[in-house]
Amino acid sequence: MCGIAGVVFKDNDLHPVGRFMTRMLDALQHRGPDSAGFALYGGLGLREHEYLLNIEVKEKPGLLDEVKTKVDTAFPIESEEIIPSVENYIIYRCKVVLESFSQLKPLIMDVDKIDDVIVLNGAHSFEMIKDVGLVKDIAARYNTEDKIGTHAIGHTRFSTESIVDRYHAHPFQSYIIPDITVVHNGQITNYWKIRDPLERKGHIFETNNDTECIVHYIADKLSQNYSLEEALEQSVKDMDGPFSYIVGTPNGVGIAKDQLGLRPGVMAENDEVFAVASEEVALREVMDTSDIEQISPGESRAYTI
Amino acid sequence: MKEFKINAQNITPRELNRTIKKAAKDTDRIIIENPNAMHYMVAGLTESAEVVIDGSAGYFAGTMIHGAKVHINGNAGWFPGDNMTEGEVVIDGSAGDGVGQGIYGGTVVVRKDVGSRTGEIMKNGTIIVGGNSGFMSGLFMMGGRMIILGDISDDAGESIIRGTIYVGGEIKSLGKNAKIDELGEEEINELKELLESYNFHLEEEKFQSFRKIVPRSARPFYGQESEEGK
Repeated sequence: MCGIAGVVFKDNDLHPVGRFMTRMLDALQHRGPDSAGFALYGGLGLREHEYLLNIEVKEKPGLLDEVKTKVDTAFPIESEEIIPSVENYIIYRCKVVLESFSQLKPLIMDVDKIDDVIVLNGAHSFEMIKDVGLVKDIAARYNTEDKIGTHAIGHTRFSTESIVDRYHAHPFQSYIIPDITVVHNGQITNYWKIRDPLERKGHIFETNNDTECIVHYIADKLSQNYSLEEALEQSVKDMDGPFSYIVGTPNGVGIAKDQLGLRPGVMAENDEVFAVASEEVALREVMDTSDIEQISPGESRAYTI
Repeated sequence: MKEFKINAQNITPRELNRTIKKAAKDTDRIIIENPNAMHYMVAGLTESAEVVIDGSAGYFAGTMIHGAKVHINGNAGWFPGDNMTEGEVVIDGSAGDGVGQGIYGGTVVVRKDVGSRTGEIMKNGTIIVGGNSGFMSGLFMMGGRMIILGDISDDAGESIIRGTIYVGGEIKSLGKNAKIDELGEEEINELKELLESYNFHLEEEKFQSFRKIVPRSARPFYGQESEEGK
């Protein structure tokens, strides 16, 4: 059991999405206490080719300097920030300018080679916040209440098969195309059947977590010019198991549910807001819920701005 | 009439249910304020009190009640009325999957749409849905009746053994062991009376469009011989 949520403000203006997503996830806290995460889109205000890296670094003499040198040698660091976390780790955040998106994943893999260092993500159009622990604690640590944006997805995790740490917290991200994220409740039981062809195409898997499989699958479809709606529709046909998941892209949010409807998903929509979640209790944090819709088995919904 | 109000804002489901059970012994009507779609509300209440949930409920609202009348002013999540034996759960809004799952008796009413597997493994009792009902409604239904005023989705009555599903709208497809029959005049009158009693006022024409889903066989899996006959 995990809790998933997504919200889109249809006017494409900046809204306090951090505050809204924090409240949605806090309302879903009972669905998973292990970790929580946010992908907050549209509020970073980065210029073209600027990317924000989130790097988990163990508190060890000289290690942060080693990371900085590695990044700065490859691409000059424009700005930086250190966010204290738990269990003797800090999150080192830095902004770099790349020549193209294709340089991002190689940079991340290069930094990942340093012991006790993991790049949690690198992004241009969204801010990734994910950590172990409860929603309210993470929100306070990363000041999510003050984050603005156009849309967001989020997750509270009840771990089943893979370990509990920051990297395995959702959202998961793919680098096949820029800034695709997924949060997921459930299991993909034909995991290897989905993963194998993606790996044969050269897509890189960093974990054995089935959520990573979904995000690469969706990004791969989007890279082939599927619309978000078409990618979600096809995914429901191709994937087996009990699942509901929410996808975040630079311009929208979508949800898909397995063909037997074994995981929950509800949505509500009005002229201003499109919202999806595991339970109504989360939707209530962003809009009136007198008319909510159940996502049907095998159904997908999306809203793009 | 003696009324008792409970503010559910800052209490756990367990604290809420304990308070309800205590209050129900000498109160006619209990009103739950600020329910905020909490799970497990009014679980296991065996007093015949009236309970009003003033807003939406989460999962398993009114599970295992015996005699209470629960009225939910908003929506409900998965499994409202689960395994209830007697009483009533009335939901003014919509509801999630498994409405009336496994009920032994009593009535569950949802005024708007519901999710999938409505009335799965129900043994007796009545479920009324004012809107549409999703995938595999009546899954392994073993008795009782369901009345769906709107459409019913794929695999309706999947592996139904006993009981009847009345459908006023479209039947998308039938599940294994399910078949469609026409209604007799007596059944139509029975439906009219039942629906009127829950304030569903339908045109006469609508009643004529109702069809019912019933089992093809009482023993679809284990051979034809049984003490109950074929």
